[in-house]
Amino acid sequence: MIRRLVLDVLKPHNPSIVDLSKELSELDGVEGVNIITYEIDQKVENVKIILGGSNIDFETVKKKLESLGAVIHSVDEVAAGTRIVEEVGTPQDKSARL
Amino acid sequence: MRFLEKIRDYTRISGFAPIGRRYFIKNAFDGAMTSLGIVVGAYVAGDPNPFFIISAGLGASLAMGLSGLVGAYVTEEAERTRELESLERSMLKDLDKSVIGRASRFASLWAGMVDGLSPALAAVGCLAPFFLFPITFAIQLSIVIALFVLFLLGVFLGKVSSRNVFLHGMKLLCVGLILTFILLAVKTIY
Repeated sequence: MIRRLVLDVLKPHNPSIVDLSKELSELDGVEGVNIITYEIDQKVENVKIILGGSNIDFETVKKKLESLGAVIHSVDEVAAGTRIVEEVGTPQDKSARL
Repeated sequence: MRFLEKIRDYTRISGFAPIGRRYFIKNAFDGAMTSLGIVVGAYVAGDPNPFFIISAGLGASLAMGLSGLVGAYVTEEAERTRELESLERSMLKDLDKSVIGRASRFASLWAGMVDGLSPALAAVGCLAPFFLFPITFAIQLSIVIALFVLFLLGVFLGKVSSRNVFLHGMKLLCVGLILTFILLAVKTIY
């Protein structure tokens, strides 16, 4: 079961991220939503959506976003299982940055 | 309740509220002015006949209603389809079945209804006295109603623009009065 989902999403300006967050928070298994806009274009905007919950259904989230006119660019993070495992830093991350 | 919520959502997403207000005010103004013109015109022509005024008024209302309904719908639909297609190109996605596509269709339909019903309702309201009262009183009451409708539309405009509602009401009322005086002047000349 998915506990946390981080998505990179492309959406039109309307519906707004306020509407989007309300709609997503009403989905079964979703307990919290955080949406951050990080790029705004003339007609569209890129947002990062973070969903937290006890049992998030990815397909339901995808369908809901599509019905709101948004498109998932990428799934940037998934945490599943009985415990959320946080990202940890590794030496490889440093070398990857060089 | 869910239906009303949907209408609210579609109105917000399609950005229809200001367009709807414009359609409503412009066309209700048309309807009130037309019926005022018909009533005063019939009086000026002499020997006013209630059947003639009602027929002419209802004919004009129906014509304005149908013309508004069809005209606004096809215009709004064409513009919104163009906008939707442009958005689809930006999104690289078909949005027809999304809430944006549905809101766009709702806005076109709603524009037609507002554009069609507002002049027809204003005109029917102004002509209502002819169904109820003798001709002389009906003409006077109808003119008063038409001028009052114009005043109310001005008040509404003033409220929308958060300015002096009375001044805006008087502005539109003056337009109605100008029409009335011009037609009465024609009667004096002839």
